[in-house]
Amino acid sequence: MDLHFTPEQIAFRDEVRAWIAENLERPFSLEKRDPKHDADSLVEVRRAWQKKLHAAGYLGMGWPAEWGGRGASEADEALLQAELAAADAPQVPNFLGISLLGPALIHHGSEEQRRRFIPKMLACDEIWCQGFSEPGAGSDLASLRTRAERDGSDWRITGQKVWTTFGLWSDWIFVLARTDMDDRYGGISFFLVPIDQPGVEMRGLKQITGESEFGEVFFDGALAKGDHLVGQVGEGWRIAMTVLSYERGAASIMYPAQFDTQLDGLIRGVHEAGRAERDDVEEKLGRLVVENEVMRGNGLRTLADLAAGNAPGPESSIEKIFWSEYHQRLTDSALDLLGPQGQLVASSPSARDEVDWAYEYLWSRAGSIYSGSNEIQRNIIAKRVLRLPSGK
Amino acid sequence: MQFELDEDRALLKQSTRELLEKEAPLSETRAVMEDTPEGFSKPFHAQLGELGYPGLLLPEDDGGMGALAFAAVLAEMGRVALPGPFLDLALGVRTLSGCDHEAAARLGERARAGEALVVMARLEDPTRSDPDAPEARFEAGRVRGTKTFVPFGAHADALLVTTREGLALVERPGAGFSATPLPTIDHAQRFAEIAIDEPAELVAEGEAAARLIEEHERLGALGASAGLLGLMERALEITVAYISEREAFGVPIGSLQVLQHRAADMLMQVESSRSAVYRAAWSEEQEPETAAYLTAVAKAWAGAAARYVCGQAIQLHGGVGYTWEYDPHIFLKRTKTLESFYGSTRAQLGRALALRQPTL
Ligand SMILES: Cc1cc2nc3c(=O)[nH]c(=O)nc-3n(C[C@H](O)[C@H](O)[C@H](O)COP(=O)(O)OP(=O)(O)OC[C@H]3O[C@@H](n4cnc5c(N)ncnc54)[C@H](O)[C@@H]3O)c2cc1C
Repeated sequence: MDLHFTPEQIAFRDEVRAWIAENLERPFSLEKRDPKHDADSLVEVRRAWQKKLHAAGYLGMGWPAEWGGRGASEADEALLQAELAAADAPQVPNFLGISLLGPALIHHGSEEQRRRFIPKMLACDEIWCQGFSEPGAGSDLASLRTRAERDGSDWRITGQKVWTTFGLWSDWIFVLARTDMDDRYGGISFFLVPIDQPGVEMRGLKQITGESEFGEVFFDGALAKGDHLVGQVGEGWRIAMTVLSYERGAASIMYPAQFDTQLDGLIRGVHEAGRAERDDVEEKLGRLVVENEVMRGNGLRTLADLAAGNAPGPESSIEKIFWSEYHQRLTDSALDLLGPQGQLVASSPSARDEVDWAYEYLWSRAGSIYSGSNEIQRNIIAKRVLRLPSGK
Repeated sequence: MQFELDEDRALLKQSTRELLEKEAPLSETRAVMEDTPEGFSKPFHAQLGELGYPGLLLPEDDGGMGALAFAAVLAEMGRVALPGPFLDLALGVRTLSGCDHEAAARLGERARAGEALVVMARLEDPTRSDPDAPEARFEAGRVRGTKTFVPFGAHADALLVTTREGLALVERPGAGFSATPLPTIDHAQRFAEIAIDEPAELVAEGEAAARLIEEHERLGALGASAGLLGLMERALEITVAYISEREAFGVPIGSLQVLQHRAADMLMQVESSRSAVYRAAWSEEQEPETAAYLTAVAKAWAGAAARYVCGQAIQLHGGVGYTWEYDPHIFLKRTKTLESFYGSTRAQLGRALALRQPTL
């Protein structure tokens, strides 16, 4: 057993840490509190940050060198993400493109598609969003109805997608659409569709936080060029499923790092409120500390397994459930322990600086829904890890 | 990076499992704890002694195998809910070896061979499972005081008694010693309250004694956490097997989503405990500066986790889960013992908070 990172990995981590100290002006929570910003200008803050990361070679590090990568291991990627999260750096606007579409193109796309799309995606000259979910197809994604029909050598897309994160700021959308209405899995194909065209209408949807970070998209005979089909006709489901499984690993120690920073803030706040000595407060904080450290232990174990060449299995469902439900417990506790001050929205002058608790509290409700809801994750664990029987 | 145990330790884990399955399987546990006056199998513990198990925590050049091996063995013992004082004995052997004292060294030799049972007597207030500063005294070559919840206190051949003056060793207690059994819900963990006024040797004092006691508590917490891991691992296996077989409403109950999700939650607790326990053991060997913190984390987590998993094991068995005949209650009861001592869950939460530090 060995849970140490290699000296090279530690050196890389230190390099990243120093780079962030030099390049990140201020944590994103403070950026959000600045009255000069609105939703659009915050996207520009994030875009500028992505450009910096890209210029420093920190995006798509695990990809082949040709596509901007440096053959980095999952551990390097995880260390990078952990440092960024601990510093509360802005999330890059193209996170869905980089985590999902990039790998899809590298593994399943054509050379031409890679050349056309990857550099602009990394440089944030084009922002991508993910068009999988539909009003009638969320957890049961394969029941999606959006269809693609041939139009000469091109395709025409008709239907609706929803919960499309970053839709309002995106230039392109990758879409799962039916090329066969009867074949449940084999009738789904994977398309790249430009948003700025007559057949596409994007609308923002107001979230419980009041923002419209996600939206809905209506396709009415929208054009997808023939060479913007990824893989073969009917391969969309398989591509989407393999790509979704690549997401694992990097998150393993990222969330504990992010939560550590938030815990620091909470502990400071509790001390300032003069409550730190209370027995119930100690118990609550102690439990939050313990759970986060256990989560990091799980993450290190995942990285160790990846390093040993074991593909992350359904056990990654455990990680997903753990971080998303921990986020809810952490923010729940924070709003209890900080008193009403914790409920102040960021624009309020008396809100706490270190964490936007009010936002985090609401945002934490999303993690257990997206990326495969936690109920679906528990189904996966029961069936594929515990091998419990199916009903009749 | 690698999570798996290295070859030597994996081999030890495997051979321990085989030994336990052969000589002390779960099916024997109830009989042993019910039918023997000590609540454990003396012959099997003698066998463990011959095989060198009590010396696991000794320095490697003295035949020990380190904290990872210790954790692996304790987890295996947890899987069969092995009755008896093995954990306390292994800790006793380690503590004796850390005393720079002739009597301790002599006794240590016998204890590591399984010829003498030596345990530490450190608690004085039955309402608290975490030791306070002791009232017991060592004066003029005698130790005087009362101790409570002494593990196997009525059966021990020697006691390491915490006193204000340091660690006092009492061998073959005589007329000045009395032990009152303290039966708890766990039939296989025989505690006693002891009153003692006996000749003794002060085998460690001052800083050295404090360090040994601290280490005893930390390694005890590690061993208890590993035991908890084994208990919940087996409790989950038994439960998954049961709900896969048992039918109601014409289907195996394990196909019902509510129970599937419950089992998934149990697995999360078990696997997270595995990460936490082995990480703590690893830090004990490789990263001592984080060991106290990571051990507090592991113990606080595993205690609560095992309580949940073993409680749900009873629930998912239905009525039979509430019978003496079925096994789940054995896991729940041992969980309570291991959870309470070597730093209760609550105490470890406080420790973890106080010791919190960067670990990457
Ligand atoms: C903040 C946010 C961002 C998102 N971003 C995107 C995006 O960019 N692109 C995109 O395509 N999608 C996105 N999604 C959509 C997300 O993937 C879906 O919301 C999710 O898959 C759940 O689908 P649903 O909303 O249709 O809920 P439903 O599937 O209707 O589920 C409703 C409830 O029923 C439960 N449930 C459903 N099926 C089962 C089952 N078999 N067993 C047990 N319980 C079940 C669910 O767990 C849930 O609690 C986003 C969602 C959120 C919240």
